[in-house]
Amino acid sequence: MEYIATFYSHFGAIQYRRACEKAGFPAKIMPVPRNLSSSCGTCVSFVSPDGTYPPVNEELEQIVSVEKAGFGQVYMAEEN
Amino acid sequence: MKNEKVTIAGAGIVIGLIAVLLVFFGNPANMGFCIACFVRDTAGALGLHSAAAVQYIRPEIIGLVLGSCIIALATKEFKPRGGSAPFTRFILGVFVAIGCLMFLGCPFRMILRIAGGDLNAVLGLVGFALGILAGVFFLKRGYTLKRSYKMPKAEGFLFPAVEILFLILLAAAPSFIHFTEAGGGPGAMHAAVLISLAAGLIVGALAQKTRLCMVGGVRDVILFGEWKLLLGFLAILISALLGNVILTAVTGTPYIHFGFAGQPVAHTDALWNILGMLLAGFGCVLLGGCPLRQLVLAGEGNTDSAVAVLGILVGAAFAHNFGLASSGEGPTMNGKVAVIVGILVITLIAAANTKKEG
Repeated sequence: MEYIATFYSHFGAIQYRRACEKAGFPAKIMPVPRNLSSSCGTCVSFVSPDGTYPPVNEELEQIVSVEKAGFGQVYMAEEN
Repeated sequence: MKNEKVTIAGAGIVIGLIAVLLVFFGNPANMGFCIACFVRDTAGALGLHSAAAVQYIRPEIIGLVLGSCIIALATKEFKPRGGSAPFTRFILGVFVAIGCLMFLGCPFRMILRIAGGDLNAVLGLVGFALGILAGVFFLKRGYTLKRSYKMPKAEGFLFPAVEILFLILLAAAPSFIHFTEAGGGPGAMHAAVLISLAAGLIVGALAQKTRLCMVGGVRDVILFGEWKLLLGFLAILISALLGNVILTAVTGTPYIHFGFAGQPVAHTDALWNILGMLLAGFGCVLLGGCPLRQLVLAGEGNTDSAVAVLGILVGAAFAHNFGLASSGEGPTMNGKVAVIVGILVITLIAAANTKKEG
C-alpha cells in the first residue's frame, strides 16, 4: 500500500525519506497534493507492504494511505 | 494530478486578466497587483512612512486576505496555527520588502512587469531564481524554522479582523489616514475601491484553493522537477501579456512596450535589479512562500505568516524612511547597503537554522 506523509518543514521530509529507505520502504520526496494539506509543501510518498511505518519525527504532521476514493488517515500529530 | 494542473493554469489565466484590468481601471502601469508596493502604500496611509507619493490603503491587500479567509472557512481549511520562529519570520519579512523595493516590485509584479514588456524584470527573475537556489541550498542541508502549533480560533481571526478595520478606515478616511493627492504619484493611481476589493477577493480565493506561490513554483522545479505550481506563474504571464495586447488594440493606449528604458515604476540598473530580487527570493524560500502566499496563509489563520506580513509592512516603511527604496532614476546608495546587509543577515539566519546532519 502507498502512503503519504506530510511535514511541518522540508527538513522533516528529508529526514523521514531517509528513515523510510533505511527501513527498506521505497520512498520519494515530492510536492504535497493540494487537497491533502496546506503546510510546508513537501511530502514523502512511501510504499509499505504491511502497513507499518518508520517512527515519526517531530516535524511530521500526518500520514495517510492513498486509496482509490482519496486518502485514509493513518497517523495525525497530536496538537499541543 | 492532471486536474490540479488544469485548475492552477485556469486560476493563473483569470488572475493575469484581473491584474491587467486593474491597470485599465486605474492602478499604476504593470501594477495590477504588487504585494510589496501595496503593503508599502498601506504603510504610508497609516503614517508609518511619509513618502507622500505612495500613501493609500490598497483594497487589493484587504481582499486577498479576506478572500482567502472566506474560502478557507467555507472549505474547512481555516486552521489557526503559529509559533514557528515568529521573530525570525518578522526579520525575514523586513528584508524581503527591502529587496522588493530595490527592484520595485514583488515576485507577482515581476511577472506583470515582464508581461508589460519590461525587460528589466527579466533580470529581476534571474536574481529571483538565484535567491531561490540559495534558499534551496540551505533547505537541502536541513534548514527549518521548526514546526507550527495549533492556535485558538481568535488568534487566527485577528489578522483578517485587522484587514476589516483597514477597510473601515479606507471608507471613513479620517484625517489621520494619509492619501496621496491626485496627480501626486503612484499612490493616487488606483481602481475604484469596490473593483480593487472584488479583484483581491477573487484572487485571494483562487490563490488559497490552488496554493499558488511564485517562490514555491521555482522551488518545486529545482527540488523535484515538478512544474505544477510554476504553471500558475506561467499562466499569469501569458494571460497578462495577451490582456495587455488586447487592451492596447482596443483602447489605442499602449499597455505593453518592450525594452529596458522608460518602463513604468522601474529602473534600468541591472545589477541591483538582480540583487534586489535575489534578496527577496532567498528570504521568501526561508519563509516558505512569496509575499502573496504569506497574505493568503495569514487569511487561513496562519499567524506566522501574519507576522511575516507585518515584517514586510515595517520593512516597506523603513525602505522609505531611510531612503532605501529605488525610484525611476535608480537605486540609492542607502538601498545598496541595505540589500548587501540583507543578503548577509539572511544567510546568517539560514545557516543558524540549518541542522548539520541534514
